[in-house]
Amino acid sequence: MKILEYDVLVVGGGIAGGESALNLANIGYKVLLVEKELSIGGKMILLSKVFPTLDCAACITTPKVSEIARHPNITVFTGAEPLKITKKGEHNFEAIVLQKPRYVDVDACTGCQLCEEACPVSVTDEYQFGLAGRKAAYIPFSIASPRAAAIDIENCILCGACERVCPPDCIDFTQTEEKLLVKIKSVITATGFQLFDPLKIPRYNYDKAKNVITSMQMERELAPTRPFNTVLRPGDGKMPDNIAYVLCTGSRDKSVGNPICSQVCCMYSIKQAQLLLGALPMADVTIYYLHIRAFGKGFNEFYAQAQDMGVEFVKGKVGKITEKENGNLMLRYEDIEAGVVKEAEHDMVVLSVGVLPNRGIDEVFDNKKLQLDPFHFINQTDILASPSKTSIDGVFVAGTASGPMDIPDSILSGGAASAETTSYLRKEDSK
Amino acid sequence: MEVEKGKTAKYLKTKRPVPKEVTEQLKHFTKTKKLLLNALKEGDKTVPQLAEALNLPKDEVMFQLMSLLKYGFVETGEIDDMDEYYYYKIKSNGKDKS
Ligand SMILES: Cc1cc2nc3c(=O)[nH]c(=O)nc-3n(C[C@H](O)[C@H](O)[C@H](O)COP(=O)(O)OP(=O)(O)OC[C@H]3O[C@@H](n4cnc5c(N)ncnc54)[C@H](O)[C@@H]3O)c2cc1C
Ligand code: SF4
Repeated sequence: MKILEYDVLVVGGGIAGGESALNLANIGYKVLLVEKELSIGGKMILLSKVFPTLDCAACITTPKVSEIARHPNITVFTGAEPLKITKKGEHNFEAIVLQKPRYVDVDACTGCQLCEEACPVSVTDEYQFGLAGRKAAYIPFSIASPRAAAIDIENCILCGACERVCPPDCIDFTQTEEKLLVKIKSVITATGFQLFDPLKIPRYNYDKAKNVITSMQMERELAPTRPFNTVLRPGDGKMPDNIAYVLCTGSRDKSVGNPICSQVCCMYSIKQAQLLLGALPMADVTIYYLHIRAFGKGFNEFYAQAQDMGVEFVKGKVGKITEKENGNLMLRYEDIEAGVVKEAEHDMVVLSVGVLPNRGIDEVFDNKKLQLDPFHFINQTDILASPSKTSIDGVFVAGTASGPMDIPDSILSGGAASAETTSYLRKEDSK
Repeated sequence: MEVEKGKTAKYLKTKRPVPKEVTEQLKHFTKTKKLLLNALKEGDKTVPQLAEALNLPKDEVMFQLMSLLKYGFVETGEIDDMDEYYYYKIKSNGKDKS
């Protein structure tokens, strides 16, 4: 097995892990950043614009991501994940990292997309959250880092069309998976979050009613690299003019096993509502909410701005969504203020899905227990005095791996994790 | 074993048979693509018009049509009089060589 040595292993290349890696690299530590997807950037790189400033998400993420990719002190592995992390002693960890084959020589690929054009296969594009197709030879998305092709081997027919057209001959079906032994002094877990799966609430009819989508799908519809020519209903291509948001989908709901607030969905829904009014000036947008959580800097003003723009806010608990013949949706909801059950018709419904923990990272730790909190996020053992600390000395947590939070807080948390890691490493250096 | 560059797909095919579902899926896409492009050659159409002409579910037409838009076979035309549905058309200088 190949042996590699670094100062710090950062697991997860979202905005939090990326921030930690950059800070550590800038003060001279050698960092290995391991990301299981084909690109770094996490969820943020796929967003449209971001609250509360309405900056374009790509414009903020792209320079950061390219700084990470180019930094001499950072090595990035994409399509890779740690299988086992063992603590051998203080400032002494060993990780077994699995590198999955991409079937493309990333350094040689120029991102010309000729392979994409040549590939005859079309399957569902996970980076467009199922709204359109992609090829089996594909660049994950236009601002991906690395911006290199990959082969989806599960859906490949091995026709070889891609390798026949590739100018630098960088496609290589002989690649196999590789396990690497990585020696490090410290670890940052920045494994992020996963989205709530709305199929767990059958009364919302997410699978059957084609014009019920998730908020992540709406992010894609609003992004410059959108799947459709503009915001449209996936059920029939109609331009919607009466859109509803259902807040707290899969959050604050014991019946689906997630009793806590996801913290970001009120705000991202208010953001999307504002963006929709920009994209579709004739549209009505109604937000069904239980409480509006607008607690951060500038958030309440952002909420008020949406109200001024004409977004309608209804304090109501949505019970059921049914599809009509024409693809419109009937929402049955309890009007909380009036105390009565009402019905309303909309032509598109967005489920503001919650933030759930990404499971499994605790099982990677071999001889020490990485404690989780009651909701399965990574436990912050000293949340007030030392928020990045975990139950293992030398292992720190960054971003939404420790609980729901927005981008500014994820970056702050990534910064805190890098500072605490530095102080842990300096303890060794000063010995 | 040294495998010649540019012929590595052939090598993997000897080791890893292509599952039947994958070839079926390819057939389905190729067939739908042909149907959609032929229907558009007869004139620009909206998603519901294509669905009706081809007797396909509207969401299926939407998904495949948006994929063809991305792959460069079709382009967006005008919106209809009710401001509801866009027309789609064969892309001039597009990828369709048939
Ligand atoms: C629809 C939606 C809209 C949003 N809009 C906004 C907004 O406008 N403004 C705002 O401030 N916030 C917004 N957010 C919140 C924002 O997405 C998060 O705050 C931010 O992405 C968290 O970053 P992160 O790095 O902690 O996690 P993630 O983005 O989840 O990154 C974690 C990374 O770790 C990788 N990973 C996980 N496990 C492993 C493993 N075992 N090995 C290797 N890699 C692994 C993942 O693949 C991922 O790339 C929105 C969220 C959603 C769902
Ligand atoms: S942020 Fe808003 S929508 Fe999300 S769970 Fe909390 S209260 Fe519900």
